[in-house]
Amino acid sequence: MIVNSSALKRSAAFMFLLVLVAGPVLVFLGPANAASHSAYQTSRKNAGTPNSSQVVRDSSGQIISYGNNSITYTAPSAALEQLGHALYLQNCATCHGDKANGVPADGTSGAYPNLIGVGPATVDFWIESGRMPAADPRSVQAARHVARLNHKQALAVAAWVNSLSPSLPLVPTPHLNHANVSDGAALFALNCAACHTIEGSGDALAASTYAPSLRNIPAFQVVEAIRTGPGNMPRFTGNLSDKQVNDIVKYVTTEIQHPNNPGGFGLGGLGPVAEGFVGLALGVGLLALLGYWVGERD
Amino acid sequence: MSEKTSRTPVSLQSVRESDPHLQPAAKNPIVVERVIALNFIAAMLSFVGFLWAYIVNAQAWKLGATFGGGMTFLGIGLIAWGKYLMPRGPFVEERHILSSTQDERNAMSDAIVKRGGGVIQRRKFLGGLLGGSMALVGAASIWPLLRSLGPLPKGTLFHTDWRKGSYAVDQSGRRIHKNDLAVGSIVTVFPEGKQNTDNGQAVDQTVIIRISNEDYTTQKGRESWAPHGYVAYSKLCTHLGCPVGLYEQQLQLLVCPCHQSMFDVTNGALPNFGPAPRPLPQLPLYIDANGYIRAQSDFHEPVGPGFWERS
Amino acid sequence: MSEAVATKRAKREALGPYGRVGNVINELDERLGIAKGGRTFLDKIFPDHWSFMLGEIALYSFVVLLATGVFLTFYYIPSSAIVTYHGSYLPLQGQHVTQAYASSVDLSFGVRAGLLMRQMHHWACDIFVGSIVVHMARVFFTGAFRKPREANWTVGLTLLILAIGNGFLGYSLPDDLVSGTGLRIAYSIMESIPLVGTYLAFFVFGGNFPGTSMIPRFFVLHVLVIPLIILGLVGAHLFLLVRQKHTQFHGPGRTENNVVGSPMFPVFMAKTTGFLFLVAGVIGLLGAFAQINPIWQFGPYDAARISYAVQPDWYMGFLDGALRIFPAWSFHSFGHTIPLEVTIPAVVLPGIIFNLAFAWPALERKLTGDNAMHHLLDRPSFRPKRTAAGAAVLAFLIILFIGSSTDVIANFMHLSLNSVLWGMRVLTFVVPIITYPIAYYLAKEMQRAPGAGKRKTANVVTRSATGEYIAEAAPAYAEDVHHELEATPVPTFIEPEQSSDNGVRTAPR
Repeated sequence: MIVNSSALKRSAAFMFLLVLVAGPVLVFLGPANAASHSAYQTSRKNAGTPNSSQVVRDSSGQIISYGNNSITYTAPSAALEQLGHALYLQNCATCHGDKANGVPADGTSGAYPNLIGVGPATVDFWIESGRMPAADPRSVQAARHVARLNHKQALAVAAWVNSLSPSLPLVPTPHLNHANVSDGAALFALNCAACHTIEGSGDALAASTYAPSLRNIPAFQVVEAIRTGPGNMPRFTGNLSDKQVNDIVKYVTTEIQHPNNPGGFGLGGLGPVAEGFVGLALGVGLLALLGYWVGERD
Repeated sequence: MSEKTSRTPVSLQSVRESDPHLQPAAKNPIVVERVIALNFIAAMLSFVGFLWAYIVNAQAWKLGATFGGGMTFLGIGLIAWGKYLMPRGPFVEERHILSSTQDERNAMSDAIVKRGGGVIQRRKFLGGLLGGSMALVGAASIWPLLRSLGPLPKGTLFHTDWRKGSYAVDQSGRRIHKNDLAVGSIVTVFPEGKQNTDNGQAVDQTVIIRISNEDYTTQKGRESWAPHGYVAYSKLCTHLGCPVGLYEQQLQLLVCPCHQSMFDVTNGALPNFGPAPRPLPQLPLYIDANGYIRAQSDFHEPVGPGFWERS
Repeated sequence: MSEAVATKRAKREALGPYGRVGNVINELDERLGIAKGGRTFLDKIFPDHWSFMLGEIALYSFVVLLATGVFLTFYYIPSSAIVTYHGSYLPLQGQHVTQAYASSVDLSFGVRAGLLMRQMHHWACDIFVGSIVVHMARVFFTGAFRKPREANWTVGLTLLILAIGNGFLGYSLPDDLVSGTGLRIAYSIMESIPLVGTYLAFFVFGGNFPGTSMIPRFFVLHVLVIPLIILGLVGAHLFLLVRQKHTQFHGPGRTENNVVGSPMFPVFMAKTTGFLFLVAGVIGLLGAFAQINPIWQFGPYDAARISYAVQPDWYMGFLDGALRIFPAWSFHSFGHTIPLEVTIPAVVLPGIIFNLAFAWPALERKLTGDNAMHHLLDRPSFRPKRTAAGAAVLAFLIILFIGSSTDVIANFMHLSLNSVLWGMRVLTFVVPIITYPIAYYLAKEMQRAPGAGKRKTANVVTRSATGEYIAEAAPAYAEDVHHELEATPVPTFIEPEQSSDNGVRTAPR
């Protein structure tokens, strides 16, 4: 059998090019698509029961607050529900639907999350971190912004959404003076550093999702994020006690957000990558330039 | 013996002090001298500052600034002196011929081959025995040093401490109850009693993730391994052993932070991206009568990265 | 009065024309015979080109490493025993950590100047390896590795490997979360080697990972064994350099049989000692103002913990990048596994690169058929093939190095992590392949441009009274007059210009 070598070379080159082109294309189409398929289908079963004492109920048996000397969780006042409903219709209904069930006016079910039964802490977190109302509903992950609704307005929306199907967890208030920053450091390293990095800078995750930087987040939002697990973040319910969550919050709001940096400029908290650039450019580069002065040019 | 000429002929010429080669290179030596003096003075002040900063236990940056600054000034002054004020040259020296003559080379070879080699030639048998002894000296010197370094691997890499009925505990030793986890939760667990041991942390580390039962794809032979959506995988990445602690609950991926291998949590931790070649070994779980999560047995395969003996 | 002067003069004359120094030399030479060799040594000529200073950056940063390292060894405790931290850093209070970690944190916060020493030591290491690489590139691109200097090339390459290894061991000693992760990876790489991997890993680490032998052993290697070898090899490197004399570029008065430059004493000694201080100064300033390796923020190493955005120090980056981008190919049959996805990027790849580098002088001799001695350097543009090949290999290594920060790149540029990885996989092949022809043609173009890379002299344009423009080359700086003089041998004796009656020499400043 005579093999036509030039045809073989041509087909080999074609296959190579095909792989070169197909690779990135498949990547763009593949996992990203898989992500969007189940991006908003968060299950709310067993969203976590209060593992603390001092439960206070109102006359109809609804839980108004619960907690301990580490964190107190409070339901938004029922008086805010009317204001909340109005704000909801203005800011949220376009996507999440008039009935907050994730079915917008044009009827595309499943495109946006169903908010019924998510609990006040979830709603409060998304609104007060500025992620909702979403600046770009089509982006893979909503980014932190300056919040469009203030604290009271956010609680109002949370109150109304919660009234549809009262749920937990409630809006937390951590008591940082009872927290132990050393325990918080150890817990942070085990549970949080894998995504947010040990210095809290945040980093890119799979398929355009990312773990955000922790430098700008107020204390109560840290509790909300830990307890509700927003987006791709896992939720930590019974396996972290309120004391442990309080410790983590203290560590985040002190060491992570206000690092002492006794060694000088922190170089962005990016670790050896930044250090390498500085060492090579500033260190070797500067010394090579000085060597240029010391030596001759010819 | 013939007189060997010196390797580098030392020049014996004299020059006058006013020779242009000996003059400073600077156009204005006095000005340069003043600049160098300023540098030296600044260096001395910096070093005094360093000593003072040390005595008063000042912050690290003050210590470093004074020390580094002093060294820099000193260096600039000394270099400037050498470059601008010292004899500007240029000077030349001849390269001596490195190599010896062919006769000298032959003499060396003769010494090795004839004098030394001749000895061995005459006593070949002894030479052979000497060679054998030297080889064994080498082995006797090296072998204890190397072999005592560590235990033989044997079966160590094939087992963890998980056993039938092991309670899953967190790092503080608390047993994990099924109600501790909501859907979308993750916890790092160890077999009870091993959470503070070296081996426990390094080898036994396991993650339990609770996913909703509908999302879970049951693999053949593993039908009972993930009761009610509580699924456990070894936390050791099958690529290079980093703890796979990064869980994305909507994408249902366990991502390894080291080299970004991604494992599908709903389907036996199959890797779908990145360099990891094998799925994370799954720990068969059951939930006992009191609701605690326990292991059915050890992992069914070695955990962690690949190695030669891993079949 | 004149009696005192006369006595002083008599005493001075009794000492001889060179005073006390002369006496010392005479005494030493009687016993050791150092005069002739010493004079030869002081007369040694060093060529002055600025690119020859790069090796000195490496040498002097090693000196800083030794000095700061000795300081650190007095306070660091190389033990994996668990202690409770009771120092001044609150977030670690009461935690159970290894003594190695606790002593490193105490070094940073409890020992005066400890943090500065730690940071200077770490910056000096980054600069040490960086300057070795830059120096090696200079040697490569100018052909200084050619006969008779192949041995020096081999010594230098071995120094690079030892420097990288010692740096890795050194930053793993504090036993913090980031470096401990690197050790786990090193363990798995060792484990992956076919046939002997598990034995090698168990022997080097004293058992399964992490064990308790790892830190003490690496301490001995890092502080004693490898620095001794490095010291010996640096000595050999410098000895060869002095014996074979330094190479030099082409230029006026320079041939294959001479060396033109400054004498060792006093000029070169002044400049090189000044450069030592400069290197120490820059490292000191970096140690003061730029925080490096904040181990207190990382926390102690715990085998179940991990941080994201963890890269090794830059000189290991090419390995990390190779590990990230290599596909998940694992060979598994006949009851055995060869994890190619580990062995190829982490064992085979550096093996190929370093073996290629070791073999390069012989390879180039074979390819060019050039067996002559070379003491004059090539300008890189005049050897386009060598320059292009070196540029391509460097580009490959740089792409791998960039590949170790795929997650940081994806985060900064808001790209999908998956696409960044695929992009790096493509770039690893494409960039070196296009670098070769680009470098080749650039070099050829530079050859054709007269005076490329040479210092330009200005033209001074004057206008005469009648309106003519006259352009002349500007007068050279006094410093450049150096090159207008013909090189002469170092003078043996300097004769005074004039002397007054009472023996006082005057000389022009």
